[in-house]
Amino acid sequence: MLKKFLDTILFTEIGQGLKLTLRHMFMKKVTSQYPKEKLVLADGYRGFIAHRRYDDGVERCVGCDLCEAICPAKAIRVVSDIHPEIPDRRYAKEYTLDFTRCIFCGFCVVACPVNALSMTKEFAHSSFTRNGLIYSKEQMLALGDRAGADSDAYLKVRNMWEAENSGKDEGHYHFPPISLGG
Amino acid sequence: MVKLTVNGKEVDVPAGTTILHAASAAGFSIPTFCYNPRMDPAGSCRICAVELEDSKRTVMGCITQVTEGMKVLTESSKVHEARKTNLELLLLHHPLDCPVCDCGGECPLQNMSFSYGGTDSRFESHRNDEPEDMKSEVLVFNSNRCILCGKCVRICDEIQDVHAIGFINRGFDTIIGPPLGKKLDCEFCGDCLEVCPTGAITDRFVRYQFRPWQMEKTETTCTSCSSGCRMVVDTENESIVRISSREGLGPNEGSICVVGRFGFNGVQSKSRLEAPHVKKAQRLVPSTWDEVLPELSTKLSAIISRGEGRVAGLASSRLPLEDAFLFQRFMRQVLKTNFLDSEARQGFMNMALPLVSATGSLRPMVDHEDIVKADLIVVLGADPAVESNITGLAIKKAVRKNRAALYLVHGRDVSISSRAREVIRLAPGYEAVFLRTLRETLSSGTNDLSSEVRVRLDGWGVNPDAFLRLVSDVKSSKRTIFVTGRRFHRSDAAFEASHELIRLMGERGLFASEGSGLFVLPESGNDLGVLMMGASFEWLPGLLETKNSEQRSVWENHWNTKLPSGGGGLREILGGIESGEIRALISFGVDPLRFLPDSAGVRKILSKLELIVVADLFQGPLADMAHYVLPAASSFERTGHMVSAEGFVQPLAPAMAPWGNALSEGNMILRLAAQMGCPLPFDSIEAVSAEIFRIFPDLRPSTRNASYFQGKTGEILLSIPRSQPPHKAERESVNSRMTDFLKQTPHPIAAPVVGDEVTKGENTFVMTLSKSINHAGTQTLLDSNLMTIEGEGFLRVPRQWARKMKLKKGACVSVSTSHGRISLPIDPVSGMAEGEVHFPFHFADARFMELFPGKVSFNAHSGAQSGQTIDVKVEPIA
Repeated sequence: MLKKFLDTILFTEIGQGLKLTLRHMFMKKVTSQYPKEKLVLADGYRGFIAHRRYDDGVERCVGCDLCEAICPAKAIRVVSDIHPEIPDRRYAKEYTLDFTRCIFCGFCVVACPVNALSMTKEFAHSSFTRNGLIYSKEQMLALGDRAGADSDAYLKVRNMWEAENSGKDEGHYHFPPISLGG
Repeated sequence: MVKLTVNGKEVDVPAGTTILHAASAAGFSIPTFCYNPRMDPAGSCRICAVELEDSKRTVMGCITQVTEGMKVLTESSKVHEARKTNLELLLLHHPLDCPVCDCGGECPLQNMSFSYGGTDSRFESHRNDEPEDMKSEVLVFNSNRCILCGKCVRICDEIQDVHAIGFINRGFDTIIGPPLGKKLDCEFCGDCLEVCPTGAITDRFVRYQFRPWQMEKTETTCTSCSSGCRMVVDTENESIVRISSREGLGPNEGSICVVGRFGFNGVQSKSRLEAPHVKKAQRLVPSTWDEVLPELSTKLSAIISRGEGRVAGLASSRLPLEDAFLFQRFMRQVLKTNFLDSEARQGFMNMALPLVSATGSLRPMVDHEDIVKADLIVVLGADPAVESNITGLAIKKAVRKNRAALYLVHGRDVSISSRAREVIRLAPGYEAVFLRTLRETLSSGTNDLSSEVRVRLDGWGVNPDAFLRLVSDVKSSKRTIFVTGRRFHRSDAAFEASHELIRLMGERGLFASEGSGLFVLPESGNDLGVLMMGASFEWLPGLLETKNSEQRSVWENHWNTKLPSGGGGLREILGGIESGEIRALISFGVDPLRFLPDSAGVRKILSKLELIVVADLFQGPLADMAHYVLPAASSFERTGHMVSAEGFVQPLAPAMAPWGNALSEGNMILRLAAQMGCPLPFDSIEAVSAEIFRIFPDLRPSTRNASYFQGKTGEILLSIPRSQPPHKAERESVNSRMTDFLKQTPHPIAAPVVGDEVTKGENTFVMTLSKSINHAGTQTLLDSNLMTIEGEGFLRVPRQWARKMKLKKGACVSVSTSHGRISLPIDPVSGMAEGEVHFPFHFADARFMELFPGKVSFNAHSGAQSGQTIDVKVEPIA
């Protein structure tokens, strides 16, 4: 009876209730001040998909259409053709990725035989129009250029870097020289 | 019969069968790379390994013949091991560049590796890194990907008989390509491309532009010539990416010629008409169907209200049966005129008229299977490999496989000449007298020629000894087939020559005996069908005669209307326009200004018309004069049925949406007739098909797939029996009519007119217009692919003459007649008759046509245009 009376006048229940809150006042802060502060994302983070280049700046994509074939959301469209400058090389004349449809499953990156695609840590792309989220190849290359080492890190952590470094000729699509004329 | 067990299942097969066929009969399929049912087995890929249970050995299924009591295992672990090892060896040097290889996705090697191959190879070797052979504009040879199955070499040798590619080098260095590292120079049929199981041979026109899984496949019929090849049109987003075939599909069994395979770009070129055009203030301005049709119907109604026969109509021979049927019914019933004609009048009519009067049918009595089995094939004025490629293949096969005697009566060597037992040179225009001499010699029973006849034959350029050999072969042969083609049909005396030929064949009893007969090569895709549907003034549908009131009343009663008689063909139409009787001309894809000489004169005649309506794919000389130009749908955008030279009735399937606002001719006619208040009782083209098939049960769709063809899967199945469709003419009815025909007196032959306008001199030649293998009609000139292959018309001159004149290929010569002069590049070819030159008619433009006499002349009997052969003087330009 007395205990109940004391509890009532001393607000012990509130104290109990605030115990967790009060304890956290002295712990390290978890909330980050997005967008002023940015989180450190894991290397395997599946953000926006980017196109990659070789070290000499040549785009990697050979327009093989395998990403288009595997895409479960049918977000990718590839139109391949002969490269206008590098003779006898296949490339993607048009490459569009509709990020409104993309489900960020990463299948396309797995399918890519030349590691031309990778997922970046960028995730905050918004647009006022739907068309603004349909990315062309140039936009995706720019994404890749921005992502830099992040795109490599994704491939490494997802075990797709082997083809890059294996030294076997399967990984690199070098194209045989052509003999014209004669 | 041999009894054996396959995987424990007993099966009886004839002796000499291979294990592959026996297993197929038992219902087990064995994988193959180098095997193709059309060719002799080679046994080079070693993937069809099977195990023999008793001897524990693996043998090759495609080349091993069955023996009594053999026990075959097709799926044992030993077999798997053998196939896997073979694949590892095949992949030893094969570059794994599937992502950039055009074959990726439809590659048997890829599929097989997927089903048998492990992920690792036990063998280590270098990958081949040879440069690709890009010398040819058509095909790319990539020797790295080649597994040396030899299919391409064999199909070029055994089926096409062209021998353009072969094995080069030996051992590991072996590659496939044109001999001596030269540029590929062949008929460009692309069959090697089709059979290649890897990406070793790829198509350069669509290189890197497609993936097989992205494309929609539509099976349709080619309309470029009368072969009636079935083909598969691959489209992506309503545009044609490529044309391929499927092994065993259609009467062509999977072969398509260069025009069919590569000539699809014309119909999707920018110059296609997209909207109806109306002439306003001397200019054609785009309009819509809703505006054009009422205007047009008012104008037509005003003209036909003045009486019968005020409108004339021309129809292209590429129209399907349905459109041709609607065309003639519209002309006769709605426009009340019998002035109608088709492209067949340019030459084929010379054969069709005598043939129908003698046999009552346009359908052939023989087909390609009979040609292959024939003892004797006489080709009269035709180049089968060029005019109807698949007929050419059948003839080549008959000679190669069955040692048929081939006689070629032609002015020059054509592509099958080298297989001929005898090439009989015959100057153009002498066909009728030649055939009469042949007929008389055959019926006289003597085995020698009088000196008078010898002199006559010599005069026509014919070698009398060769002639005698032909006579004795015709006498001894059991299965004789005569083949006629463009040169025969278009010669000045073609009508008489056709009469003579039919009489000769009738007298020899060739219409009566099974396996013998006449095989006519029409020029366009549906010449036979258009005529059967009555798109000519002589015939109503079903080849009933318009002039015969009894036969006319059949259709009059059926349509419940009165049909006009009289009328006429192209000759009468031009006459009627000139006299002012005909006030309007409707042309469905026929441009007389392109093929008639004296275009200025014809233009003057046509300018008298009140109304010219042209329905076509492209703008042309006649469309420039027209008051209404209507965009027509191409053969890739419509439904309908075509009758092939073999008599098959095969469907067209729309592979892409109509170009712009284009409509098929049949739909235009249906809408126009409804607009004119006289609707035809059909609401769609399908309804017309149903009506045609109801009235003519023998025109129901028919085709012949190879026995091993198995529908849509594209797999080869070796044991499906083939059903014989009723595509041939009935021999009984033909025979009964032939007896009447033979009782008639032979048709008189006018003496051949020899051009005398140019004084015969050293450089004087007879010039004929020929068909090029790389083009069909004039529309293919708008096709970028075919123009890459052949982009310029060369005057073919005898090589010995060019050598004498010191002229090389491409040198310009001046070609002149008394009417005009033009300079043309030459192409010296061997095997031409001394005084003959020829020029591909596709490239005969208005300037070229000025060489011809200023007056259009016609054959008196058939109304077909004559004078298509002229004397020219060819001189080098100094």
